[in-house]
Amino acid sequence: MTLPATAPAPAGAAVPVAPRPESGAPPSGRDRYLDLLRALALVRVVAYHQFGWAWLTLLLPSMGVMFALAGSLMARSLERPALHVVRSRMRRLLVPMWLFGAVAVGGMVLQGWGPGSGGGTRWWLKMLFWVVPLSDPPYPSHLPGVDGILDGGWAEQVAVPLWYLRAYLWFVLLSPLMLRLLRRAPWPVLLAPLGLAVVLGSGWIALPDRVGAAATDFAVFASCWLLGFAHHDGVLRRLPRYVTPSVAPFVLLAGLWFAVDHQDPESGYDLDGIPVAQAVWSFGFVLVLLHLSPSWTSWPRRLRRWSGVIGLLNARAVTVYLWHEAALIATVPLIDQLWRFPVLERNVPWLLDSPWLNFLGAWPLIALCVVLFGWVEDVAARRRPRLLPWPRRSAGPGTVRGHRGGRRRQASARAR
Amino acid sequence: MHRHRRHRAAARTRRRSAPPLRFLLPSLVMVALMGLLLLRGLVTNEVFHDSRVAESVDKTTVPRHLLTGGPVVDSRHGRQRSYRPADRTVALTFDDGPDPVWTPRVLDILAKHHARATFFVTGAMVSRHPALVRRIVAEGHEVGVHTFDHPDLALQSDTRLSWELAQTQLALAGAAGIHSSLFRPPYSSRASALDDLTWPVVRKAGARGYVTAFIDTDTDDWKRPGVDAIVRAALPRHPGEGAVVLMHDSGGDRSQTVAALDRLMPLLEAEHYRFTTVSGSLGAPSAHTAVSGFPLWSGRVFIGFVSVSVALLPVLVALLAVVGGLVLARFALMLALSFRHVRRTRADGFSWGPPVTAPVTVLVPAYNERECIAHTVRSLARSDHPVEVVVVDDGSTDGTAAVVEALGLPGVRVVRQANAGKAAALDTGLAHASHDLVVMVDGDTVFEPSTVRELVQPFADPRIGAVAGNAKVGNRDTLIGAWQHIEYVMGFNLDRRMYDVLGCIPTIPGAVGAYRRSALAGVGGMSDDTLAEDTDVTMALHRAGWRIVYAEDARAWTEAPQSMDQLWSQRYRWSYGTMQAMWKHRHAVLERGTAGRFGRVGLPLVALFTVVAPLLAPLIDVFLLYGMVFVDLGRTLLAWLAVLAVQAVCAGYAFRLDRERPWHLVSLPIQQVVYRQLMYLVLLQSWITALTGGRLRWQKLRRTGEVEAPVAAV
Repeated sequence: MTLPATAPAPAGAAVPVAPRPESGAPPSGRDRYLDLLRALALVRVVAYHQFGWAWLTLLLPSMGVMFALAGSLMARSLERPALHVVRSRMRRLLVPMWLFGAVAVGGMVLQGWGPGSGGGTRWWLKMLFWVVPLSDPPYPSHLPGVDGILDGGWAEQVAVPLWYLRAYLWFVLLSPLMLRLLRRAPWPVLLAPLGLAVVLGSGWIALPDRVGAAATDFAVFASCWLLGFAHHDGVLRRLPRYVTPSVAPFVLLAGLWFAVDHQDPESGYDLDGIPVAQAVWSFGFVLVLLHLSPSWTSWPRRLRRWSGVIGLLNARAVTVYLWHEAALIATVPLIDQLWRFPVLERNVPWLLDSPWLNFLGAWPLIALCVVLFGWVEDVAARRRPRLLPWPRRSAGPGTVRGHRGGRRRQASARAR
Repeated sequence: MHRHRRHRAAARTRRRSAPPLRFLLPSLVMVALMGLLLLRGLVTNEVFHDSRVAESVDKTTVPRHLLTGGPVVDSRHGRQRSYRPADRTVALTFDDGPDPVWTPRVLDILAKHHARATFFVTGAMVSRHPALVRRIVAEGHEVGVHTFDHPDLALQSDTRLSWELAQTQLALAGAAGIHSSLFRPPYSSRASALDDLTWPVVRKAGARGYVTAFIDTDTDDWKRPGVDAIVRAALPRHPGEGAVVLMHDSGGDRSQTVAALDRLMPLLEAEHYRFTTVSGSLGAPSAHTAVSGFPLWSGRVFIGFVSVSVALLPVLVALLAVVGGLVLARFALMLALSFRHVRRTRADGFSWGPPVTAPVTVLVPAYNERECIAHTVRSLARSDHPVEVVVVDDGSTDGTAAVVEALGLPGVRVVRQANAGKAAALDTGLAHASHDLVVMVDGDTVFEPSTVRELVQPFADPRIGAVAGNAKVGNRDTLIGAWQHIEYVMGFNLDRRMYDVLGCIPTIPGAVGAYRRSALAGVGGMSDDTLAEDTDVTMALHRAGWRIVYAEDARAWTEAPQSMDQLWSQRYRWSYGTMQAMWKHRHAVLERGTAGRFGRVGLPLVALFTVVAPLLAPLIDVFLLYGMVFVDLGRTLLAWLAVLAVQAVCAGYAFRLDRERPWHLVSLPIQQVVYRQLMYLVLLQSWITALTGGRLRWQKLRRTGEVEAPVAAV
């Protein structure tokens, strides 16, 4: 609570939906540690989608971390009437998705996708999932693309992040029930999803694809979401402090063992392909992260210089998450243009071939997406829309960057 | 809670400011050990070994003329030529050696017939038996490269192929000062068997400057088909025709090969065959080139390291067995003796003698203990035994004395002295003590009401000069606290009972101990000769002939260090202090009576269990790591779990004896992979200090005053 009352809490957004105290409430101190985790998780997701390195999924199980953070914030919000909270959460999730869907589906239709290729009424019914993603929204696996610019599989790539919204929606819908259950029997409820993940992973129950995918994602990450609840409720704090560091390594080891034992011939130990390992590893990892949870009410000195970027990533988490695949796709034709410079082609062909160039190039494009589409997050949250919510820092030593950020923000506000 | 956070943060910053040099030397030793183990594993095919063999496939890419050509293929510089040995010429080739048993016999037979042959050696065998390679070369035979550890190169990467060849050349250079340009891929046979998988291997070897030697006749001697069969298979199919013959001088019992060779050679000689090397059979110059300069020396260094690593392993294994034996023996001894101790002290009707009711002086040496001292003094004042409390303020700068005086408790006195150390403070206190029985308490320790009474009851026995109490960790909620809690419970309920039964308790803990003032006077009071004045005085009392016992019900709650840094300095003080005290009292070994008993039983046990065994303990970790990564994960883990189970049983027993709930034992497995290592690093540093004669400045534990009152008696 060290933020002076005059400084607004940096436009806060949880992933993907920001908790925001109702207007009129005193500005709530953000836990900078959770902000840092969310930002790291986002960067990790983008890196993973570019490089596809399996070890990234072990290094930081981003989705588990993001669901845990969201769960913690959801638990905080649920101190208010549940129906209201769920509605507000859905709004903040769905409005940005509709904008994304409008652009993405528009592009697909322009490329000739339509009910003809999928089959009449069913197609239209399935299209409803683009409105309320209770199941995965449909998209064509192959499109003509644009020769030399856009690969035919772009729709599939753009749709990669959508499962997260589907899972998130289900968590939001079930949260009031889950929270009640958790408060009745914390540990059995925390562990139950892991059991469900094992059962679903074993293949003993045959589920239709759509149901199976949703159920598996729910089972895999529900423990993390519930850990977020438990963190907020203090379930973890009530445990003697030696317990988590003593037990968590074995949870992690179990997850690792399962991953190594169930390696995929192509992706190896990549947790994204091994749901049970993903569930167990993410649970253990989040357990450790939440145990460490130092509850920073202000930035530690060494992180202060990053506070702007982290704040922005947090404020626009949904946008970054939804649009980063599009940005990555866009880097390909842009980098292709560089080959036309003989100087580059002759001297640094390794650089032009490097996946790092795509990764680095994606960030300016993501920033562009934030400016173009990010404001809709503010609209969905019923806030004053802003183009670039660079957080203004509280006065203090070394606020040069903060001032600059503040100026830029004013400028963008004027631009509106 | 809040206080705690700040505390941890402070510890972190401090650690950063001082680079952890203390980890450097031990880490280097561990890395070097690991490296030597790896090297040995490499030359014995324990690590990186790949025994897969490729299936044969199509031959669409292999030039036709090579398939029907001779056994020696020259693929250098894009060439694709094959050569046949001249008529009436046999190139005997021996693969997979050199072998210490069979290669010399083969060489003897060859020498008997004045014959030359070719040995396709593996780098691993060369590294282990360099002298044999020297003999092969000296006797005029030819050496070819058969890779380092005999993988099927068709399944390996280019990098691996290059490494296999280069590493073998390194070994050859080191062993015999030569490089060889002759190559034979493992699992190869005739040139006609080349296929789409093996031809690229030949091409790549050619690109690296090698001529590949296949064979004409395969004796299949490794299947041990009988001497006759080998001889028959080795004879050229058409009389007079030249041939490259494949035999093996390694990889198992080669007595049939040797016997067959002894019969084959006269047979062929009778047909006017001559025996020569592969190069010789083609009329080509030797494949050897002499090596000098850097390649020669790096090869020699490599061979040197290999021989060290090979020779070292039995030593390490023996040491490991010693450590394992010591660890298990210690557990067994502890279990058996503490069982005896408990049976005796908890037997019905056990008493030390008539109840001791004489008043007691409690000495509290304090240096900057403001946080805790009030808890300590108040808990003493609540004793159910008549006590006089003397707080000796050893020149505190934080107003410790004022805190005590402000309490205004009856029977509590404060004595001030200029800062002179704990031993001096205790001596000052002794001078002010009114009673003959003296209890010493650290300023961070809290007594239960019954502690003093329980602690002095053994003095009913006039032979007993001092009593050790049962110190317990009060702040056991954190991981580091839980670890120390486990350690304390085991130390006080197993170690100390064991030493008690043996009559040689080495340390009365500074946190809770009772002495006869007359006994202390007899040994000249406390001394600051060592960093562990409590161990020092205990040993002195043993030598003066006093008995020392353990009073398990005299519980004292102490505040354990909560950061790794503080723990480190505390343990460093203890372990170095113990070493100093043992050195100081080393002459006890030769003394008579109680002193001699202590010197001949107690000192060696302490030396063995707390000074020598932990020094060898890193071996366990090195072997554990090596075993898990390179040998057999399952079996290694199982062995580790078995040792852990033994430890858990002991710890469980100790917890039961102390009537503690067992939940903290959940930290035991992690303790084994972090805490134990830290403790031996501390010990190593103590050793280094002891050997280099360094001096240790006093390190004050930072207090948080967390341990407030005795936890309700369990």
